[in-house]
Amino acid sequence: MMKRVQNLLGHYLIHGFRVRSEPDGDLESQAMVAVFGSKGLRVVKVSWGQGRFREVWRSGLWSMSDWIWDTRWLEENVAVALGHNSVVLYDPMVGRTLQEVHCTDRCTLSSARLIGNTWRELTMVAGAISNELLVWYPAATLENEPVAPDRRVSGHVGVIFSMSYLESKGLLATASEDRSVRIWKVGDLRVPGGRVQNIGHCFGHSARVWQVKLLENYLISAGEDCVCLVWSHEGEILQAFRGHQGRGIRAIAAHEQQAWVITGGDDSGIRLWHLVGRGYPGSGVSALCFKSHSRAGTLKAVTLAGSWRVLAVTDTGALYLYDLEVKCWEQLLEDKHFQSYCLLEAAPGPEGFGLCAMANGEGRVKVVPINTPTAAVDLTLFQGKVHSLSWALRGYEELLLLASGPSGVVACLEISAAPSGKAIFVKERCRYLLPPSKQRWHTCSAFLPPGDFLVCGDRRGSVLLFPSRPGLLKAPGVGGKAGAGVLGVSGGSGGEGSTSAEWGPVSILPSLHGKQGVTSVTCHGGYVYTTGRDGAYCQLFVRGGQLQPVLRQKSCRGMNWLAGLRMVADGSVVILGFHANEFVVWSPRSHEKLHIVNCGGGHRSWAFSDTEAAVAFAYLKDGDVMLYRALGGCTRPHVILREGLHGREITCVKRVGTITLGPEFEVPNLGQPDHLEPGSKGPGLIDIVITGSEDTTVCVLALPTATGAAHALTAVCNHISSVRAVAVWGTGTPGGPQDPRPGLTAHVVSAGGRAEMQCFSIMVTPDPSTPSRLACHIMHLSSHRLDEYWDRQRNRHQLVKVDPETRYMSLAVCEPDRPGPGPLVAAACSDGAVRLFLLQDSGRRLQLLAETFHHKRCVLKVHSFTHEASNRRRKLLLCSAATDGSLAFWDLTTVLDHGSTALEPPAEPGLPYQLGTPCLTLQAHSCGINSLHTLPTCEGRHLVASGSEDGSLHVFVLAMEVPELEEAAGEAELRPQLRVLEEYSVPCAHAAHVTGLKILSPNLMVSASIDQRLTFWRLGHGEPTFMNSAVYHVPDVADMDCWPVSPEFGHRCALGGQGLEVYNWYD
Amino acid sequence: MGRTSKDKRDVYYRLAKENGWRARSAFKLLQLDEEFQLFQGVTRAVDLCAAPGSWSQVLSQKIEGGHVVAVDLQAMAPLPGVLQIQGDITQLSTAKEIIQHFDGCPADLVVCDGAPDVTGLHDVDEYMQAQLLLAALNIATHVLKPGGCFVAKIFRGRDVTLIYSQLRVFFSNVVCAKPRSSRNSSIEAFAVCQGYDPPEGFIPDLTKPLLDHSYDPDFNQLDGPTRIIVPFVTCGDLSAYDSDRSYPLDLEDGSEYKYTPPTQPPISPPYQEACTLKKKGRLAKEIRPQETPISIVDVLPQPLAIPPRHTLLASEVWKHGQGPQCPFCEPTVTPSQCASFYPQILWFWGPKFSSLPPNSYRTQWVKPTIINRKAQPSI
Repeated sequence: MMKRVQNLLGHYLIHGFRVRSEPDGDLESQAMVAVFGSKGLRVVKVSWGQGRFREVWRSGLWSMSDWIWDTRWLEENVAVALGHNSVVLYDPMVGRTLQEVHCTDRCTLSSARLIGNTWRELTMVAGAISNELLVWYPAATLENEPVAPDRRVSGHVGVIFSMSYLESKGLLATASEDRSVRIWKVGDLRVPGGRVQNIGHCFGHSARVWQVKLLENYLISAGEDCVCLVWSHEGEILQAFRGHQGRGIRAIAAHEQQAWVITGGDDSGIRLWHLVGRGYPGSGVSALCFKSHSRAGTLKAVTLAGSWRVLAVTDTGALYLYDLEVKCWEQLLEDKHFQSYCLLEAAPGPEGFGLCAMANGEGRVKVVPINTPTAAVDLTLFQGKVHSLSWALRGYEELLLLASGPSGVVACLEISAAPSGKAIFVKERCRYLLPPSKQRWHTCSAFLPPGDFLVCGDRRGSVLLFPSRPGLLKAPGVGGKAGAGVLGVSGGSGGEGSTSAEWGPVSILPSLHGKQGVTSVTCHGGYVYTTGRDGAYCQLFVRGGQLQPVLRQKSCRGMNWLAGLRMVADGSVVILGFHANEFVVWSPRSHEKLHIVNCGGGHRSWAFSDTEAAVAFAYLKDGDVMLYRALGGCTRPHVILREGLHGREITCVKRVGTITLGPEFEVPNLGQPDHLEPGSKGPGLIDIVITGSEDTTVCVLALPTATGAAHALTAVCNHISSVRAVAVWGTGTPGGPQDPRPGLTAHVVSAGGRAEMQCFSIMVTPDPSTPSRLACHIMHLSSHRLDEYWDRQRNRHQLVKVDPETRYMSLAVCEPDRPGPGPLVAAACSDGAVRLFLLQDSGRRLQLLAETFHHKRCVLKVHSFTHEASNRRRKLLLCSAATDGSLAFWDLTTVLDHGSTALEPPAEPGLPYQLGTPCLTLQAHSCGINSLHTLPTCEGRHLVASGSEDGSLHVFVLAMEVPELEEAAGEAELRPQLRVLEEYSVPCAHAAHVTGLKILSPNLMVSASIDQRLTFWRLGHGEPTFMNSAVYHVPDVADMDCWPVSPEFGHRCALGGQGLEVYNWYD
Repeated sequence: MGRTSKDKRDVYYRLAKENGWRARSAFKLLQLDEEFQLFQGVTRAVDLCAAPGSWSQVLSQKIEGGHVVAVDLQAMAPLPGVLQIQGDITQLSTAKEIIQHFDGCPADLVVCDGAPDVTGLHDVDEYMQAQLLLAALNIATHVLKPGGCFVAKIFRGRDVTLIYSQLRVFFSNVVCAKPRSSRNSSIEAFAVCQGYDPPEGFIPDLTKPLLDHSYDPDFNQLDGPTRIIVPFVTCGDLSAYDSDRSYPLDLEDGSEYKYTPPTQPPISPPYQEACTLKKKGRLAKEIRPQETPISIVDVLPQPLAIPPRHTLLASEVWKHGQGPQCPFCEPTVTPSQCASFYPQILWFWGPKFSSLPPNSYRTQWVKPTIINRKAQPSI
């Protein structure tokens, strides 16, 4: 995914490298490495002395006659295992074949492994496509005669992808397509004729197994299911490392002494994991043995005061404390008022502030200091059931307890302690009123820094904002005082000025988390985070006393009950939730379940507490308190060495703009390589690029020209299906055009599968604390789905959904010049339609305006452009292209005008308008058009270029003739006449689909294709002529964007496919 | 979503099921025939890598009174009018067996729609596909009559031009064809090679694999203008269904939609055993802490009445005092080794230590600020 800094294997990809073991064992500061991949082989000598990684020497790039499956150093030479079961002894320093030996069975291999340190003892273990394992000895011949296999081992029912040999124990492990790993007892493989015995058959992966590695005590395997499993040699799974995204883990390395396993995934991420042996020491579930003859009653509720004190209440109204240090239950108090129904919540903060609160069915609340339970304070707040209790803590200064009573009244109690520490004071500060609903109580609360407001969530799924000291407000603002419905409740014991009026919320986001309710609110870093039982967590902020949603994100698949959110030291969040009958702590950053407790689900009483050192989770099960504790808090013990990018193919690439950071943001360049490619030291610019992927995410990337690195700034994952297209409009700077500070803002619309469209804005600002020196803030604006009605159908499970499952294939934004309703978004749809959407209110409203089924085939591309003519209105034009190779041009200039003839009214009310007939249609290719671009030329004409599935390019000049005003007097709308002037076709420009095409200037065009060639074409002198071409590494390129950087730096091309490559081109 | 989803996304998949084809690829061969009249005058046809058998189905229906031999390494459900050989196309015995079935006559047409199971590593997949094609070409040189026709699937990736140059050695006319039933988003295409004309002196030899060509700076460049790109032909007419378009379930001809199950489910896929084990819940599972037996922590009645020691609104943390030396710390562990473990927090609470005599060591909690003082191995 990074720009090539040191290209070792030319156009080959690197599949492996082997370090030469030095005879004197000196690998402290330098090493000789054989790098191979495809048919290429090269040896490099690298050194890392003086804290600097350098390439000392490199051999030539040697090409073999066949695919290289393995390479092994034999002192000065290397043995190379080739694709059709042959072994070559090669001198890599000068590039000379010393000996080539074939096996008699020259089948195609799927993997191979060379064993032994000299040619005499060299053993080839080959995995044939017939699922057999062949063992043979290349040195068994003298006359270069083919060698017969010594042993054939069968057992797998799929091809073998990887094998690993452990010499010390004489074991061989194989990983296969049949999803199993087999362990074979082979003895010394270098001795011919040994016995091979299958001693283990490990089924544990849910997809093909790509890699296997044998260690002295472990067997590590990793596969397509993105899981790395640690097995014992007896076939038990000791650990499972989950967290990679996408198509699996491709590479593993291990260091048994350090207890490290390092995995490389298809998502381009690299992670380091710790081997801990059998089970997880330092974590486990224990029963706290509450049941006893001396303790009557059954447990009703449990809570945690800090991570080492458990509080529990029984149906007899007795409150018990379990201290993990003394390991015994202690009764703190017993109050018959709290029989049968009792709520119990411990105060937040380190070690729970030593406070807990109880509430009963008659409106009574008791605040209990845990250490001096005799100093407990009782209040009767309501004349009915207390529905919920929650705490809110501001620093160490202010502690509030909120209790929900009948009819949506929430009493806010202020807790303070006497300086002696022997007594507490509880005073009712005010009362709030929740909006009406069936289950009208609050569920969670938090202070909004600096502390003027309280953010609450309620059972109806709404998030509310209350003033924390409403008494200070002289005149309650809008919605301040909650009308006449003042309840005659008995006041608290707080004393003076007991309020008798309830305060309504100053701001409300109704039903943000759906009917199942909000479960937590957390304030951090200027944002409010809420979680709900709808499986989503939201980011909000408060501006001008109003709550505003920023981003809504789904947690991991299947986790529909989120219970809370915690901030971790590295700035990321972790999500607490219930996944079926398990309690899970899940990290969205690493996609990892950090803790899993099989607790039985979220409907029982539970409590969670975390400190930097440990986490604790207590729950009731079988009438007892169960406690899970684990080391290390919510921070993961494993390390992400490199963040992943997209888990699946990249489908679209769009450059947004460039940011120039001043010298104060200079990145200290540690690993400065010696051999920079010429000109790769560009100006200190950072290109901001947006990519969309089949993994349903949209990613904002920073690509600094100076380092050639790629930093993922943020990922938006609220699409339910793959993202296929992004479009950008309204780019600017955060402070406006006058502000000299660096930064970038833009509006983005993304679309893809399930006919879903999302609109959001991005703001990129400098942030010295990140590696990229940039931070990106996302704000979600609107979303649209064509089949939204389907989700609202109650009996949808019994019905067959008849409508096509439309995918959006491409997007184009058309910005009208007049200040009007906003830009139009055109979408190419797989059901044969071109649809026009209207974005209003700077993106906050997205609605379907018009559609046309002109193409009657899958529309692959849309592209918009404008035509400027002197003293006339700017024309908005749209070009669409379909799988039959035809292009259609549409005039959208007047679409938004009243009384426009561009749109025909719908056949039925409620349906979108019909877009009329196109201005021009053109059969450009014989099959699907995969790329399309236009450029205005100086003569008021347009260059249009398209690239097709058949590898051909089509370039033509489009002239626009608007009828003279005199001729069409009285008619306000003039349809432009489009005419094709010059037309050129390049039939065999590429050997596969042309998926990227950009006209850079009237005489320069670039095209990219699935055949992995980036070709530059000269235009403007008749037919496009070939200038030059380059091979790149990203297969299956789906999109390309290219932009000029500076005259001396040339152009940058970003190619997205199975990976991302940035290519610099100097004219 | 659900089982109708694929029917909507891929109309040919649905039509294949409704018309009794074993796979949607049957339409591809039909459309290739429309363009090239592949079956004209053909009496002996070979289908290599035939499973699941849709191309054999087409061949047996289109070649009247002829012989069709289907070869595959895997087992295939039987088809009327098709002679099946379960064998390896890289073996000479297979070629001999084919000729034997044609009564010693060479074949008029050899087709190969095989593709390896893609691994997702694009260059590996492209290489494997090329090897399959070359193996098919190699056996075709044994069984094909001069002037005969060879059709094989190719992946149009980086090195497809090498395949073109190799095929042009053996055939007078090579084009790259893509039927309309093959999706735009797919990189597959078909090399249609007509007029088998091996170079003079060429002796077919199945004991040696045909190795793929490499780039030639004069003739077939890696990135220059002189690459061998064969003409591209789109097959099938425009009125046919569009394979990329998502159609509503009610097609325009007014026929009512009815779900059709797949015609021929796969026979013994490699993952069969894994799936069976999973269904029975017998896949190996990781050992989780909650699956370890729950330990009883306070097994002994606590005779000690410990007075409350905690002060209000101030948490108390017990520090690791200069008390008893940790009995579990192995003295052999050096600090550098410990650095690889978790943050070093003393932690003796858990199932592992529950069998210790009570009060032999008091559980102690330490704030993480002093964690590096004493190492404790976790294993």
